[in-house]
Amino acid sequence: MEALSLRDDIGDKSALAGQNTLQLIAFSIGEQTYGVEITTVREIRAWNGATPLPNTRAYVRGVINLRGTIVPIFDLRARFGDGQTSPTKNHVVVVMSVGDKWVGILVDAVSDILTVNRDEIHNVPEGNSIDTELLNGIVTHESRMVGLIDLHSVVMGAKMDA
Amino acid sequence: MSDLDDFKATYFDECSELLTELEEQFAAIEAGERDRERLNAVFRAIHSIKGGAGAFGFSALVGFAHAYQTLLDFVRDGRVELTDDVVTLCIRANDIVADHVNAAQSGEDLPANYGAEEKARFDAIARGETNSEAADSGDSGDEGGEIVEDFDIDFTPVMVNLDDQHGRREAPVDDVFEASPVASVPEQWEVRFTPHRALYARANDPLLLFRELAALGQMQVRAHLGEVPPLSDFEPFAVYCAWEITLISPTLTEEAIREVFEFVDGDCDIVIARLGDAGAVAPVREAAEAPAAADAEMDLSSLLALTEDEMAQPAEFAAEPEAEPAGAQDQFEDAPGMSLAALADEIKPTVAPAPVKAAEPARPVASMPPAKAAAPAEGDDAGRGSVGVQSIRVDLDKVDRVVNMVGELVITQSMLTQQMDETLRARYTELVRGLEVLAQTTRGLQDSVMAIRAQPVKSVFSRMPRLVRELATKTSKKIKLETIGENTEIDKTVIEQLSDPLTHMIRNSADHGIEGPDKRLAAGKPETGTIRLSAEQAGGNILIVVEDDGAGINRERVLRLARDKGIVAPDITPTDEQIDQLIFAPGFSTAEAVSDISGRGVGMDVVLSNIKKIGGSVHVRSWTGKGCRMTLRLPLTLAVLDVMLVKVGDNPYVVPLSSIVETMQCSRAAFERVPSGGRVLQVRGEYVQVIDLGQRFGMVPANAPDDQFVVLCEAEGSQKVALVVDDIIGQQQVVIKSLEENFERVDGIAGGTILGDGNVALIVDVQGLRTTHIHQNAA
Repeated sequence: MEALSLRDDIGDKSALAGQNTLQLIAFSIGEQTYGVEITTVREIRAWNGATPLPNTRAYVRGVINLRGTIVPIFDLRARFGDGQTSPTKNHVVVVMSVGDKWVGILVDAVSDILTVNRDEIHNVPEGNSIDTELLNGIVTHESRMVGLIDLHSVVMGAKMDA
Repeated sequence: MSDLDDFKATYFDECSELLTELEEQFAAIEAGERDRERLNAVFRAIHSIKGGAGAFGFSALVGFAHAYQTLLDFVRDGRVELTDDVVTLCIRANDIVADHVNAAQSGEDLPANYGAEEKARFDAIARGETNSEAADSGDSGDEGGEIVEDFDIDFTPVMVNLDDQHGRREAPVDDVFEASPVASVPEQWEVRFTPHRALYARANDPLLLFRELAALGQMQVRAHLGEVPPLSDFEPFAVYCAWEITLISPTLTEEAIREVFEFVDGDCDIVIARLGDAGAVAPVREAAEAPAAADAEMDLSSLLALTEDEMAQPAEFAAEPEAEPAGAQDQFEDAPGMSLAALADEIKPTVAPAPVKAAEPARPVASMPPAKAAAPAEGDDAGRGSVGVQSIRVDLDKVDRVVNMVGELVITQSMLTQQMDETLRARYTELVRGLEVLAQTTRGLQDSVMAIRAQPVKSVFSRMPRLVRELATKTSKKIKLETIGENTEIDKTVIEQLSDPLTHMIRNSADHGIEGPDKRLAAGKPETGTIRLSAEQAGGNILIVVEDDGAGINRERVLRLARDKGIVAPDITPTDEQIDQLIFAPGFSTAEAVSDISGRGVGMDVVLSNIKKIGGSVHVRSWTGKGCRMTLRLPLTLAVLDVMLVKVGDNPYVVPLSSIVETMQCSRAAFERVPSGGRVLQVRGEYVQVIDLGQRFGMVPANAPDDQFVVLCEAEGSQKVALVVDDIIGQQQVVIKSLEENFERVDGIAGGTILGDGNVALIVDVQGLRTTHIHQNAA
């Protein structure tokens, strides 16, 4: 329910905000902050365990029941190659829609809702292909760096690795 | 515009049903059941397709259907004999009609002269046969068991004594049989037929209706041209013409007449009256003529207006029969002042067997608008008895929603039941009883909902004869298709998924399995190859078998190809059965393989993946030189599955109950090693492949007690496999959920389900585990 009221709130804000701004849900993995576009987020849930899937990649944590639909959960930390998260009740699953699929990503905590100017999005520095593959860009918020997650790569990349 | 699109969609839905019906009817006709009923059904189907096509302006389809229908009509009234050639032509014509319908639906253009050849043949047959008409009508009289009267014959009205008729009806049955049909008093029927604009708009031709009527008995037709206006006032789309038809036949019933008008039901006014006394004909004719002349346009609205104006008059007439129940003829004699619609209602009751009854329905006619009273009566009478089962067309989405909800209900119900532990049970007996009733009702509800979606496989099977015919032509082979068990019912969603795999399998049988006629004869087989398609229910599954008597799979070549492609390692020698199964291996059937293999392999991995998607499995068995059998095992429904809940590591898994043979506990020492590194278990003298699910699924083994729980499952081809699990929890029903909807296919897992506690349990894909095991060993 909380997630719902949160979203309504945001809806109003985004209506006020001009076309040139982007609203993000920001969440943290360790010390780092990342964000996804708010329109893709469907729901934020507390971690409540997942049924592991056999013979899949380490960053696929398993599947959960989302009101009768089976939704896969990706461990974002593991996806970034930092090893699996050891989730507690305080960890959070952000459920998002990617294309016609619903997926969840496991993160440490949801921290903020940010409104950023599209003009302020910086390119990801070339160098490590993992960075450019998984991030769409970087913005600065209150002197902190926020990486914009490329959901398609996080999820679809999982498929290509198979 | 969207309304029109809706109508079109409905029309195409109907077309696909009608085309299915055509296939069915011709399958029977081909098999020798050349009775009139089937021909009528075919005629009706073509007629309905043509009617809709006319309404939407698919002129090519109308043109072809019309020509086809004319031929059918000649066959029906015996002018053309239904020889094998004609049947073949008709089957070809059905295909062309189907192509036209498809073209209309997709908006594609067929070649301008598509079907012209067949059309020309219809005409030729029709012309050719009419010359030797006498001989033919004699023949068809034998076949159809009906005396065919020529359409143009005039008749002389015969006086019939009504008392005689009543006497005859009450006579003992034997007497009726003694009387020869000719000697018995012929029934005389008067039909008044007033078409509406809509009838022509739907491309119906009154002439065809008259032809059909003519087949029923001696006929006389009188056209009413009185309302045709002077040419200056002539409106091209208005209907000015009406007809009166008198029919005489010893066996005629109202139902038979109604049936003729079945397709134009609602698009015309039909008044049918049985005239026991020929003398009564004249007044009716006058009565009908008077109002017909009064209004220039006989469409429904003006008719309604008319009847409202004349409401007072029928009331007078209705009162009379009550007082004088036997006076059916009297009504007619008093009729002249009545409006046409009122006449319709007045006459209708007289067809009821007893005159006393006839008076009763006449009464409400007086108190309500006649048109309304007529509508339900017509609906009831109009020869619909043949349909028998009433049905409604429902959007599948709506049913799916109900199915899903019932699924959730099943889960909740089983969750509640699980929550009731022994202490609660003891304390709340009422609650327990309530839960038991709930369980029963849920199960009943579930069965009923599933039954709504169940459909005979016929709808898929009936598309196959056409496929086989086309394949036979293309490959210059002689192939016969036999279908068995087409009334077996499966869930609609399963049926929809079945069409592609079946097409692939049959194409395979026809293309690769069945040999050419020369080869077959040389091998001492009949020239015509047979593909047998059958469906049967086996427990919670449906078995669909495609069997052919062709050459079988060429194992040498399959194996060689599999080795070339690295599917089978050079040092492994698979069994024959494993080789047969290889044709389903992904990557085996690539484009190069198609031309390279004399056995099978075209798109068979597609078959496997499609079938797996709906929770089924495929098994192939081949006998060199004798044939090949492919068995599809499909779940009865996609929605609910009876399963056994087991535990592997810390996680629950479910195994479909339909594949479980038995469960047992046995010591680790009972597993024997085989050279491949795999393990086997001896179960009552049979060695069975062992799959340790924990190991397979990469779970950290629990403290691995010496005693293991084993679920013995039967995979395809009666091959057993022993699944080692950590614990067996129990049986329950689950609702199958797709993993692919939001994720992807996972090896060894057939899907997921949600348990009573809200957690997800994965469904073990027994067949998948077994085959991937073989591939792993082989690689």
